[in-house]
Amino acid sequence: MRGRSGARLLAAVWLAAVYAFLLVPLLVVAGASLNGGPPVAYVSFPPERLALDWYRDIPRSQLRAIGLSLGLATVSALAASGLGVPAALGLVRGRFPGKALVGALLRAPLQIPLVVIGVAFLQLYHAVGDVTGVDLAASFAGLAIAHAFAGMPYVIGATAAVLQRFDTRLEEAAVSLGASRWSTFRRVTLPVIAPGVYTGALYAFMLSFTDVPVVLFLAGPGFTTFPVEVFHTFQFDFDPTVLASSTLVMGFSLVMLVAIQRLAGLDTLLRSGGVAGGR
Amino acid sequence: MRARWGLFLVIPFAVSVLLLVGSQGIFLRGSLFRDLGLGRFGRELTLANYLRVFGDPFYLGSLRLTIEISAMTAALTLILAFPVAYVLARMRSRWALVLLAAVTISSFVSVIIKTLGLIVLFSGKGPINRALLGLGLVAEPVTIFGSPTGVVVGLMHYTLGFGVLLLFSVIQTIPRSVEEAAQVHGAGRRRVFLRVVLPLALPGVVATALVVFNLCMGAFTSAAVLGKGKVLTLPVLIYRTILLEVRYGMGGTLAAVLLVSVLLINVLSLVVLARLHAARRLVVA
Repeated sequence: MRGRSGARLLAAVWLAAVYAFLLVPLLVVAGASLNGGPPVAYVSFPPERLALDWYRDIPRSQLRAIGLSLGLATVSALAASGLGVPAALGLVRGRFPGKALVGALLRAPLQIPLVVIGVAFLQLYHAVGDVTGVDLAASFAGLAIAHAFAGMPYVIGATAAVLQRFDTRLEEAAVSLGASRWSTFRRVTLPVIAPGVYTGALYAFMLSFTDVPVVLFLAGPGFTTFPVEVFHTFQFDFDPTVLASSTLVMGFSLVMLVAIQRLAGLDTLLRSGGVAGGR
Repeated sequence: MRARWGLFLVIPFAVSVLLLVGSQGIFLRGSLFRDLGLGRFGRELTLANYLRVFGDPFYLGSLRLTIEISAMTAALTLILAFPVAYVLARMRSRWALVLLAAVTISSFVSVIIKTLGLIVLFSGKGPINRALLGLGLVAEPVTIFGSPTGVVVGLMHYTLGFGVLLLFSVIQTIPRSVEEAAQVHGAGRRRVFLRVVLPLALPGVVATALVVFNLCMGAFTSAAVLGKGKVLTLPVLIYRTILLEVRYGMGGTLAAVLLVSVLLINVLSLVVLARLHAARRLVVA
């Protein structure tokens, strides 16, 4: 029995170490944000004193960046879902030649690193600008298109996963009871696939909300998202107010995750490959 | 009724492929013209940019560094994540759900905020250095920033959660009864793990390794911030070449090299895995 308790102890220590590594840096951000005081060259943790100065002093540029991030992530997640949900329906239920190839092409953006997506869309927008005179680089639409492109495979994947487990007898029952095709879709199909759609949309939202490289290539001066704003403070002078704004953003992500988990269930959230979360 | 569902695909497919071909086609085409700087291109098709990348130790070194850092991170992530995933998958109490939720939450925090946390934690006057100094373990503050070590730590923080979640779902598919059967027949814990659990989990472990490796090969934020401009992986180099030096042709070439090397490494590992699988089947037969 001694070997057994030794193994248990080892497992407990291992788990504690991994969880500390995962969670302590996040707690440090939240804890250090309470320091307050004049901007300093370093940040102390645990905080030397408790003050909310840095929350009060969050500059307007950061608040604007958070606003832009929220708007951009919402629009690109909606666009990714608007295209991804019908695509998943077609992929799972359609029967046509070359289906495997169509599926592979729709999943292709997953294989492209975000840096490469940034490079590629920058040059695409330059080319489109040369022909039409419409410059999509450094525009909201340009960013939303690139993010929706990168996020769509997540919506397709999560929705298709739920659709594949779908019991089509439910629909047949509705039709045989006299429901029209549209009302069957709206009242039977949609509610059943909704968890997958919410999950996929959450992933697409988070991809846009956390992305740095694509926005670096496509955003212009004075037009940046929150992650890129923080990225820039690392390149130049460190501004401790980012600790405060980052804590607010973390809080928001947590609320969002809990809300989606309520709607979709932790199981669907995990089953659609927890990996989708970030790149 | 069935034929109609296919029609749902027309618009999404058209949009996705148009953007895919348009975006990838244009930068790949640009990489085939001589780079004259400031976003200007030569007129003749040439492989000059590729010859330069593969003839210059600087670029080759960057490719090697990217692969090394990614492989190192993938290996460490698997080693750390597997026991955690195993314990979570075999846990019978409600704690499993709480622990699983904690991993999920950490995975949803953006890379830039994780990086911020690591900077505060590991900085010269941060808690870790103060503890090390206080215990007299080091004479001067140690730094991990600006070195491949720092980048690996940053990347691991980014991939570890995904690693645990992916391996968790892999181990869940291995029935507990298989392990119990081996134990009943007299196999020790070690033997059960090495001869039963690991072989059954192997395909999933390799798939997880590839996912983590791919994430690292394309990872920009941790490499750029924690490397402090001294660790030039391909994504960081692509960013500098295009946005700081405005050399679109070279940047496009490096992006193409990154894209193709990731694909090649994935295909190769899948081929090797298939071979291993076939070989094992022969042995068993």
